[in-house]
Amino acid sequence: MKYLTILVSFIFSFSILQASEVSEWFEKESNQFLEIMNNNEGTESENYEKYKSFVNKNFAIKSIAYGLIGENIIKKSKDHELSLYLEVFTDYLIKTIYKLANSNSSSTIKLKDVDIKDDIYIIRSEISFKKSSANLYWKVINTGSSYKIIDVIVENTSYFVTKKSEFNKILRKNRGSLESLIIQIRKI
Amino acid sequence: MKNHFKAILLIIFLSFFQISKSYSIEDASVSGVSYDQIYDPLEPINRAVLNFNFFIDDIAIRPIVKTYKFIAPEPVEKGVSNFFSNLKEPIRTVSFLFQGEFYKSFNSIGRFTINTFTSLGTFDLASRVGMEKNETDFGITLAKGGVSSGPYIVIPIIGPSNLRDFGGDVVEYFVDPISNNVANREYLAIGSGLNERVEIDEQLDKVREASSDRYEMIKSIYYQNRNAQLEEEYIQNLPVPKIYIE
Repeated sequence: MKYLTILVSFIFSFSILQASEVSEWFEKESNQFLEIMNNNEGTESENYEKYKSFVNKNFAIKSIAYGLIGENIIKKSKDHELSLYLEVFTDYLIKTIYKLANSNSSSTIKLKDVDIKDDIYIIRSEISFKKSSANLYWKVINTGSSYKIIDVIVENTSYFVTKKSEFNKILRKNRGSLESLIIQIRKI
Repeated sequence: MKNHFKAILLIIFLSFFQISKSYSIEDASVSGVSYDQIYDPLEPINRAVLNFNFFIDDIAIRPIVKTYKFIAPEPVEKGVSNFFSNLKEPIRTVSFLFQGEFYKSFNSIGRFTINTFTSLGTFDLASRVGMEKNETDFGITLAKGGVSSGPYIVIPIIGPSNLRDFGGDVVEYFVDPISNNVANREYLAIGSGLNERVEIDEQLDKVREASSDRYEMIKSIYYQNRNAQLEEEYIQNLPVPKIYIE
C-alpha cells in the first residue's frame, strides 16, 4: 500500500511537472506569435519570414502533412514526390497562418488549462480580438527536444480534420495522385 | 392543430426512414467518426445547391450583412443576436425535456424568463447570474434518441444539414411555442436566419478564400460542430496525425 501511494504520487507529480513545462512553452511561444502578429512595422516579406520561422520551429509539419494524405499514399509515392509535397504543404501552412494572423490584429491569447491524453497535450486557450473571442485548442506533442503543434482547433473546428477531408477528396478524385494534390495546393 | 399533426407524421416518416437504413461509414453520434467519409449520396445535387446558395449570398445576402455589420454598433449587433437567441430558449426547454436533461431544461426556461422580463432578451443577464446558455435543438434530440444522421444535404438558402437535423428543424418550426404565437412568423424566421448569417460572416469569408474545395470544407465543419454538441469529450476524441520524426 505504501509503495502504491508512492508510485501514484510520483506519477501525479510527474504529470503536473509535464503540464507546467508545456504551459511555460505555450506562454512563451504564444507571446512570440502575438508579438509578430501585432507588429506591423516590418515589410510584408520581413513579416512573412517571421511567420515562417515560427511555423518551422513550432509545428510538427511532417506529421501533419503525412497524416493528411494517409499511409497508403505515402507508401506508393516516390521519395522526391513526398519531399516536394512536404515543401509545398509547408509553404501552404505558413501562408494560411500568415493570412489568418494578418486579418486579425490586436489580439491576446489566454491560457486556460492543459489536459493530457495518450501522450498528447491539449492546451485550452482563449483568443480575444477587439470585438469577439474564441476558444482555441492546441494539440501538442513532446518530441524529446521540444514541443510541436499537431493540430489547432478553433471553437470546434479542427484544422487537421478539415484539411484531411479536403485533401482526401482531391486524392479520391484523382485516383490517389499526389502530383494532382500538389498542383491543387499550389493553386490555393 | 392540423400543422402539428403534419409535423408528427413527418417526423415519424423520417425516423422510420433513418432507423431502417444502416450506415456503416458514418454515425455522427459516436466517437471515431471518419470525417472524410461522410455519407453523401446526393453530392452532385448538393454541390449544385451550394453553388446556388453562394450565388444568392453574393448578390443579395452578403451585401446586406456587410452593410449591417458596418452600420450597426457592436452593442446593437450583440443585442439583436441575444434577442433571437432568447426566442429559441422555449424550444430548447422542450428539446432538453425530451432528452431527459431536466436541469438544462429548467435552466433554459429560467434564462428565457429572466432575459425577457429584464430586456426583452436583448441583454443576457441570466449568464451574469450563473445561468449559462446551453445549445440544443430537435436534431440533437433525435441523435440522442438513436436516430442516425442519414445523408448529408444542402438546403437551398438555408445551407448544410442532414436528413435527421432537417427533420428536427421541420418539427421545431411547427412546435416552437414562440413562432407559433406570432402573427407574421415568416418575418421572424427571416430575421433569425439573417442573424445566423451575420454570426458566421467571418468564417464564411475564410471558407471563400482558404479552401481548395469549399463544399468539402463546409461539410466537414458542419459535422464537426454537430459532433461537438453530441460528444462529451469531443476535442479529446478528434483524430490526430500519426507522429513522424521531424
